[in-house]
Amino acid sequence: MTALSVSILLYIAGALASLALNKAENTAIKLSGILGALGGVAGLFASVPTLLNGTTVVKQIYSPFYFADFMIRLDPLAAFMVMVISVLVVAASIYSISYMEEYKGKGAWAMGFFMNTFIASMVALVVSDNAFYFIVFFEMMSLASYFLVIAEQDKKAVDAGLQYFLIAHAGSVLILIAFYMMYRATGSMNFASFETLRDTAHALPVWESSVIFLLAFFGFGAKAGMIALHGWLPKAHPAAPSNGSALMSGVMVKIGVFGIIKVGIVFLGAQVLWWGFVVLAFGCVSSVLGVLYALAEHDIKRLLAYHTVENVGIILMGVGVGMIGMTTGHPVIAALGLLGGLYHLLNHAVFKGLLFLGAGSIIFRTHTKDMEKMGGLAKVMPYTALAFLIGTMAISALPPLNGFVSEWFIYQSLLSLSHGSSMAVQVGGPVAIIMLAITGALACMCFVKVFGVSFCGAPRTENAANAKEVPAPMVMGAWILAILCVVLGLGSPWIAPVISSVATSVISMDTVNVVQGAALIPADGTRAILSTPIIIIALSALILVPVLLVSVFRGPALKRRTKRDLPWACGYGYEGRMTVSAGGFTQALRSMFAPLYTLRKILDPAPAMNAVLTATTNAARKTEPVFDDYIIMPVSRLIIRLADKIKVMQHGDFRIYCLYMVIALLVLLFVPVEFGGM
Amino acid sequence: MQGLEMPTASMVTLAIVQALLMLALAPLATGFSRVIRAKMHSRRGPGVLQDYRDIFKLLRRQEISPINSGTIFTVTPYILIVTMLLVGMALPAVTNESPFPIAGDIITDIYLFAIFRFFFSLSGLDSGSMFAGIGASRELTLGVLVEPILMLSIVIMALIAGTTDLGFISKHMATETWSAPMATLMAGAACAFAVFIEMGKLPFDSAEAEQELQEGPVTEYAGAGLALMKIGLGLKQLVVAQLFLALFIPFGKAADFTLPHVLMGFVVLFIKLFIVFLIAGLVENSVARTRFLKTHHLTWSGFGVAVLGFAFYLTGL
Repeated sequence: MTALSVSILLYIAGALASLALNKAENTAIKLSGILGALGGVAGLFASVPTLLNGTTVVKQIYSPFYFADFMIRLDPLAAFMVMVISVLVVAASIYSISYMEEYKGKGAWAMGFFMNTFIASMVALVVSDNAFYFIVFFEMMSLASYFLVIAEQDKKAVDAGLQYFLIAHAGSVLILIAFYMMYRATGSMNFASFETLRDTAHALPVWESSVIFLLAFFGFGAKAGMIALHGWLPKAHPAAPSNGSALMSGVMVKIGVFGIIKVGIVFLGAQVLWWGFVVLAFGCVSSVLGVLYALAEHDIKRLLAYHTVENVGIILMGVGVGMIGMTTGHPVIAALGLLGGLYHLLNHAVFKGLLFLGAGSIIFRTHTKDMEKMGGLAKVMPYTALAFLIGTMAISALPPLNGFVSEWFIYQSLLSLSHGSSMAVQVGGPVAIIMLAITGALACMCFVKVFGVSFCGAPRTENAANAKEVPAPMVMGAWILAILCVVLGLGSPWIAPVISSVATSVISMDTVNVVQGAALIPADGTRAILSTPIIIIALSALILVPVLLVSVFRGPALKRRTKRDLPWACGYGYEGRMTVSAGGFTQALRSMFAPLYTLRKILDPAPAMNAVLTATTNAARKTEPVFDDYIIMPVSRLIIRLADKIKVMQHGDFRIYCLYMVIALLVLLFVPVEFGGM
Repeated sequence: MQGLEMPTASMVTLAIVQALLMLALAPLATGFSRVIRAKMHSRRGPGVLQDYRDIFKLLRRQEISPINSGTIFTVTPYILIVTMLLVGMALPAVTNESPFPIAGDIITDIYLFAIFRFFFSLSGLDSGSMFAGIGASRELTLGVLVEPILMLSIVIMALIAGTTDLGFISKHMATETWSAPMATLMAGAACAFAVFIEMGKLPFDSAEAEQELQEGPVTEYAGAGLALMKIGLGLKQLVVAQLFLALFIPFGKAADFTLPHVLMGFVVLFIKLFIVFLIAGLVENSVARTRFLKTHHLTWSGFGVAVLGFAFYLTGL
C-alpha cells in the first residue's frame, strides 16, 4: 500500500515537474520520463507481492464528500492491473526521454503533464473501491488521454479527439447509469456492497441485473474499443505521441475489459447464461473484423490500432468463456477462460506497447506513418528491427512466445466448453475456435506485411535510406518489452499459476492446477500439454541438423555473394518500384473478403453520431438567438462585470489552468493520503 | 487414461530418428511426385532420385543473395527445416502415441506451421523481388483460406477423442470403436483437402513451374540456401501428409516402443505415404490451374464439408 502511494505520488511529481519546467523543456522531458519510470517501478513493488501472496488489502482514507467513502482496495485483480500498467509505464517513460524531443516546441512539457496524469488516474482507478471515485478517475483518464490525442493540433487530430471525446462520454454515461442502478439496489456506493449482488439472497430480478450488465458492457466496451464501438480507436491512437499510443492501446482499453469483469463477474456473478454468450460473440466478431480491417491499412499506427480491436476481442473471448463456465457451474472452465483472457491482457499490453514504441522509433527517423515510404529499415536500425520482429512474432501467436501461450489457454478453455451438454455451448465453442484460428492466420499475414514492407527489402524513400538507429533510451524502452515477450512466453509454466490464482480469486473458487513440472496443462493432464521451455530447447538443438547438412556437403564453394545482384525481373531492368506494396500484398485477400469490408461502413457509428451532432448543432443554432437575447446576454453582461472583479485569478496562461487541475488532483489524492490515518 | 508426461530417453531417440528419417526421405517424396507427373504427361522425365542429385549439387554451389536482402533471407531456410523437424518429432507416425508429446499438441503444431509460413513469406519480401513478394502474399492468403478447414476438421477429432494431443487422438482412433463414423469421414475428407493444399499442389500452387509466381518466395535463392529451401518444402509435404495419416488412418502402428513393432510401423508408414503421394500426384495432374482470385470458392466448399462433419458430430452420427 505504501509503495502504491509512492507510485502515484511519483506520477504526480512527474506531472508537476513537467508543468513547472515549461520554459526548460529539455529538463521537463527528462524529469517527467524519469519520475514516470520510477513510479512504474514503485507500482511493480506494490503489485507483485500482492500477486504472489494473493492477499487483499483494503483501506479507507479521508473523503471530503459525505456520500462517498474513499475506499482503496488492492486485491489480486487490482494488483494484476497495477502490474500491467506499471510494466508498460516503465518502458514507455524511459522511451519518452528521447522520443519527446520530436515534440520540443510543440508542447512537450504539456504532454509530459498529461501523460503522467493519465497514468496516475489509471492506477487510482483500478484500486478505488467506490463508484464515485471510480467515475472521477475514469473521467480524468479520458480527459488526460483526450489531450494526448489532440497533441498534434492539426485538423485530423482534433477531429479524432472530438470523436474520442464523444464516444468516451457516451460510454461513461452508460456506466454511470449502471452504477446508479446498483447504488439504488444496495444503498451504498462502495464496491464492497455492490458485490453482495452476486449472492442469490440479494440478487436483483433478472431483467434488472441484465439491464445493468448490458449498460456496463456497452459502456466499458466503448472504452475497450470492441467492434461496433471501435470507431474512435483507429483515429485516436495514431494521433497521440507513440508512447501515449502505447499506453492507450496497451493499458487504457484494458480498463474497459477490467470494468466488464468487475461488473459482469465480481458484482453480478454472471447470473444469466446469455451474458457470457454476448461477451463471447462480441469477442469473436471484434477479433476477426479487427484484424481484417488492420490488413487493409498502410498507416502503421492505424494498423496497430485495429489490431488492438482484434486483441480486445480475443481477451473478451476468454472473459466470455469464464462467464459461461461460471453460470453453468463449471468452475474449471471458468478459471481456464479467465486465465486465458487475463494472460492475453498482460501479453497484449507488452507486445502492443512494444510495437507502438517500435512504430514511434520508425516515425522518429523517417517522419512518416505510411509504410509505403519505409522499407529496408532492418539494416539501418538493427536493434529496433529485432525488437519489432519479436513483437510481430508474439502478436502473431508464434510459439514459444507469450501471445501463443495465452491463445493456447483460450483454445483449451473453448474446447473444454465445447464438451458441455447444452447445444449452445456445443456449437458456440467450436465457432469461436474457428474465429480464433482465422484471426491467427490473418494476424500472421498482417504482420508479415508490416515487418516485410517496412523493415525488409529496399528502402522506398530517401528518408528511409538515410535513417539511423534511434537513441539509447528508445532502444531500451522497446527492448524491455521485447525481453518480456520472451520471458512471458518461456516462463509460462511459472507465470501461469500466478495469473491463474488471480482468475480464481475473481470467481472466488479454489485454485486450479495448470502446471505439471515445466509444462502447462488445462487442469487435466490427459487433455493437452505444452512446455514452451522444452519447445525452445528442441528448436535450438534442431538447428544443428541443417547446419551439419550444409557443412558436410558443402564442398569448396565460394563465399556467399551479397550486395551485387539485383532481383530477377524476367530479363527487364529491375526497379525498386516493382516490389510489392503494402496495398498489393493484401489485394487478393481484400477482394475475397469484400463483403466484410463493406460491413465496416455499415457498422461505423461515426456517420450516425456526426449526423446527430450536426442536427443538434443546427437546432441549437436556430434557438440560440432566442436564449441569447433574453437569458444569455443579460447573464453574460453580469458575468463580465463579475469577471472584471476576479481577473486576478485569470492570467490567460495555459499553465495556470493546468495548475488548477493539479490542485483539484491534490485535493482528491494527496490530501486524503496525508490524512489517511484519521 | 494416463496423463501426458515428459518423454523418456527412448521416446526422444525414436522421435529424433523419425524426424531425421523424414528429412532424408523428403527429396524422395518430391522426386516421386515428379515421376508421376512425367508419367501422366507421357514424358520420360527424371529418375526418382533426381531431387537428391539436385540438392547435392546445389549444396556445393555458391550462395547469392539479392542486393537488398537482409538477415531474414539468410536464416529462413534454417527456420523452415527446424520447425518442420520439431513437428516431425511430435507426430505419432510409427507408434500409437506421440514419441515427443510435449510438442504434440495439435494447436501447438498448427502454430508451428504458422512459423513456417511467417518466415517463408517474410523471406520473399526480404529478397525485394516482385515475384517473391506476390508469392509471399499468395502463400499467406492460402494460409488464411485453409486454416478454418484444417482447424474445424481437427477440432471435430479433438472433440470426439476428448483431447488435443495428437498421440492420444491417434491412439483413440486406432484402438477404440469409432463413436461418430460419419463425422469422422467428413472431417477426414475436409482434412485431406486442407492437407492437399498445404502440400503445395495444383490447382493452388505448383512448385515445379520454374518461372512466374509459382516458385514464390523461393525465386531468389541459390546454392545451399536453395537446397535447404527445397528440403524444407519437401519435408513440409511429408509432415502434413503424416499429420493426416496420424489422425484419420492410424492403423498398423506400433502399440509399444519395442524394436520389432517400431520397425514394422516404419514399413506400414512407407506404404501409407506411398499411397498418399500417389493419390495426391494423380489428383494434381488431372486438374487445371484456376485463377488465384477464385480459389476461395473452392476452399469454402472444403469448409462446407468440414461444417457438415461438425453437424454430424453434433447429431452423434
